[in-house]
Amino acid sequence: MNSSVDASIAPSGPGAPGGPPSAASREPRASSLAGAWRRFLVRRLVGLVVNLALLVVVTFVIVRLIPGDPAAAIAGEDASQSQVDAVRVELGLDEPLPEQFLHYVVGVLHGDFGTSFHYQMPALDLVRAAAPYTITIAFASLVVFLVLGLAIGAAVGIITRGDRHRWLDHLFNVGAGLVASVPAYVQATLLIAVFAVWLAWLPPAYSPAYGLGESAVLPVAALSLGCIASVARITRREVAVVLEQDYMRSARGWRLPSLRLYAKHMMPNVLTTALTLSGIILTALLGSALIVEAVFAWPGLGTTTVQAIAQFKDYPVIRAAVFVIGAISLLFTLVIDIVLGILDPRTLGDSRG
Amino acid sequence: MLGVLVVVAVVAPLVLHDAATGLSGDANSGSTGAHPLGTDGLGRDMLARTLVATRQTLIAATLSTALAAVLGIGLGVATWLAPRRVREVGLRLIEFWVSYPTLLVAIIVAAVLGQGLGPAVVAIGIANAGGFARLTANLVAGLAAREYVVTARLMGVPPGRIAVRHLIPNMAEPQLILVAQAFAGALVELSGLSFIGLGAQSPAFDWGALLNEGASKIYTNPVLIVGPSVALVFASLAALFVGDGLAAAANPRTNTSRSRLVRRADAAAEPLEADVLLAVDHLTVRHDASGRDLVSDVSLRIRRGEILGIVGESGSGKSVTASVVSKLLAEGLTATAARVELSGADLLGRVPGPELARRVAMVYQDPGTALNPALTLGNQLTDVLTSTLGSSRRDARENLVGHFRDVLLTDPEGRMRQYPHQLSGGMKQRAMIASAMSTRAELLVADEPTTALDVTVQREVLGLIKRMNTTAGTSVLFISHDLGVVRALCDRVLVMKDGRIVETIDDVAHMTTEAVRHPYTRQLLAATPVVHTSRPEVEGADR
Repeated sequence: MNSSVDASIAPSGPGAPGGPPSAASREPRASSLAGAWRRFLVRRLVGLVVNLALLVVVTFVIVRLIPGDPAAAIAGEDASQSQVDAVRVELGLDEPLPEQFLHYVVGVLHGDFGTSFHYQMPALDLVRAAAPYTITIAFASLVVFLVLGLAIGAAVGIITRGDRHRWLDHLFNVGAGLVASVPAYVQATLLIAVFAVWLAWLPPAYSPAYGLGESAVLPVAALSLGCIASVARITRREVAVVLEQDYMRSARGWRLPSLRLYAKHMMPNVLTTALTLSGIILTALLGSALIVEAVFAWPGLGTTTVQAIAQFKDYPVIRAAVFVIGAISLLFTLVIDIVLGILDPRTLGDSRG
Repeated sequence: MLGVLVVVAVVAPLVLHDAATGLSGDANSGSTGAHPLGTDGLGRDMLARTLVATRQTLIAATLSTALAAVLGIGLGVATWLAPRRVREVGLRLIEFWVSYPTLLVAIIVAAVLGQGLGPAVVAIGIANAGGFARLTANLVAGLAAREYVVTARLMGVPPGRIAVRHLIPNMAEPQLILVAQAFAGALVELSGLSFIGLGAQSPAFDWGALLNEGASKIYTNPVLIVGPSVALVFASLAALFVGDGLAAAANPRTNTSRSRLVRRADAAAEPLEADVLLAVDHLTVRHDASGRDLVSDVSLRIRRGEILGIVGESGSGKSVTASVVSKLLAEGLTATAARVELSGADLLGRVPGPELARRVAMVYQDPGTALNPALTLGNQLTDVLTSTLGSSRRDARENLVGHFRDVLLTDPEGRMRQYPHQLSGGMKQRAMIASAMSTRAELLVADEPTTALDVTVQREVLGLIKRMNTTAGTSVLFISHDLGVVRALCDRVLVMKDGRIVETIDDVAHMTTEAVRHPYTRQLLAATPVVHTSRPEVEGADR
């Protein structure tokens, strides 16, 4: 029996890098955890590279898939033949397909997505200038929605355990459901109406005059409200599940004080599921950021992308922006999975990513 | 609520078409009697426009959901039909597709197709198809392994036919739920695209376009956002209720109430005999919702140093009895008794947590679930010592490591740093017993502690419980469905059936079919393989 258990502790599987034998014999557990981390990171980094490669392909075909003659469509109906040809040359559409792709890939590897039609500057520079604004509100929203969502969900879950206080349960279901399902851009508009127009507490749109912090309050609120509600709903449901588990009965059997019971024995198990789902919520958040930014004239990637599509047909910028948004979303997901791995090493074995 | 939307979508354009598009000459009006939600820059009534836009919005959402479903399910099935290599690549691509925000995918598609409601419908459709493709691929992977599919394949039915005949019909239910969700999503996503100017272009309008119009004049005429906002909130709520309704239908909720302990009115207060540790008199436990009695009129005594066994099949009420004794009665149950007393502590009333934790220890049936998967053994098993009983962390660790050694866990210090999933079931149960030993409890409640274990491990665990009893003098309430196990360990045995004690056996050593009275006990005995070994052998197992 002992040997079988030891086998499960030691790094196993053909792909396991094993580690130095002397260290392994002294610290069997540490090395198995390190091995799990190594396998996890290798797998995730390979996944990251594959996904970035796919992003390159996708941004490449965005232009190729435009129906008809892409150059003519991009240049617009009133464009002269010479303008159309200029677009064709700029996007490399005059070359044979394989060469086009090769040039594009080489360009991307050098950080060159082409020159913005509208601003006449490298597309990546434009996007790079916009990215921090998006990352700021996305990250702030992430922190806000995780902290508040988990806290509210856990509190409601604990208070309503075993069908106690059913009125709170109903109130929470309707309230959180409503906030979670109303789209962020509607919430953004309503937030502006109340806090900028009616109460005049906060600026309705980004303006350097107000400073970043003050301008960011409403966009972050608009982005995180729905996520707070979603995370709170998930957490509340998960709390109900975890409280039913046998190990919680064990902990109750030890008559632990409430704080210790919930904070130490319940929360880590709730966190795993809640954080896993938060990764999905985060991707949705990045999506709504694209639109919410437009509402607040926030000078981030969303506004940049939407302008590039709707007003300028600025395809080099679109390519660069889509690539960077995709890359940010990949990185955020990776960060969440790493945090999960720290909190609960079992998740390292998942085959996701 | 969706019904209301559909009715509005059908009726509003017929009745209000002129009001919605006609110019009233009253441009940029605020809320007035004639125009409760104001008018836009051309004097068109916003209430009428909002209602009329319902049709446009619903038709667009329906079309894009249909597109998403057909495209996604088609791709999902096609992936399954494809050769192995193509399938793996296909699955990978579907994962890639759904790992990005729907709106980002939609914006990319809009970038390719240009602006307008038509492209927006296609864009949202394509973006949502990823979800359908993944669901389909997952469902097909599950279904393809089913017997009837395998049989059909072996019989040479062409894959295309299998897909249509066997796979698609069996995926209907989850797909319908996804359709409802995707429809709700499409509704707000389409309006979102229109809102940022990538969807409906003037003179066409939907809610998103109207909201954008209102938002641009939010300082001069804030009432304009009311119509489209209310419409979008209403549609979101409708979608929420559809989703919740479907989910609720899938798993109905049960109503439970808190557990209660009630003292019977006729409770007599005669003091316990000195050597009795636990006394239960006339215990009845009722399931509140069904009104059924799980335990009826059970009385028992456990003396100091005694091992009392309760044996019975599942549902006989033995575990519920144990949960009353350990004061961990499940929610929705009401226990009534004349007395539940742990020499001096009235378990029907309030007992301080530390006193209970010190005097009563528990070992449960499934060591796999009784330990917290997120905490190391040392971390969780010392909690009772540090947090409840006030030892220092160091004393607690030393205490527990010592008992890990007593239960013969190899590498006791190392085990402290391990998570439960790194141990076998037998080791976890031994760790639980070590934890029970660490508090030097007077009473151990062991609820089927060997059921989930292999036979050899069972014997070791029984030996440990016996040793705890002989060396520390701990009394044991031992619950089992296995008369053989109970007979090997216990001093006295109660047989329970349907919530009642049907037989009390004081002389366990001479328990034979002739000696017992109740037919059920005879049945149990007859079903137990005759092992002509008895307690001495079990005691030997811990050596």
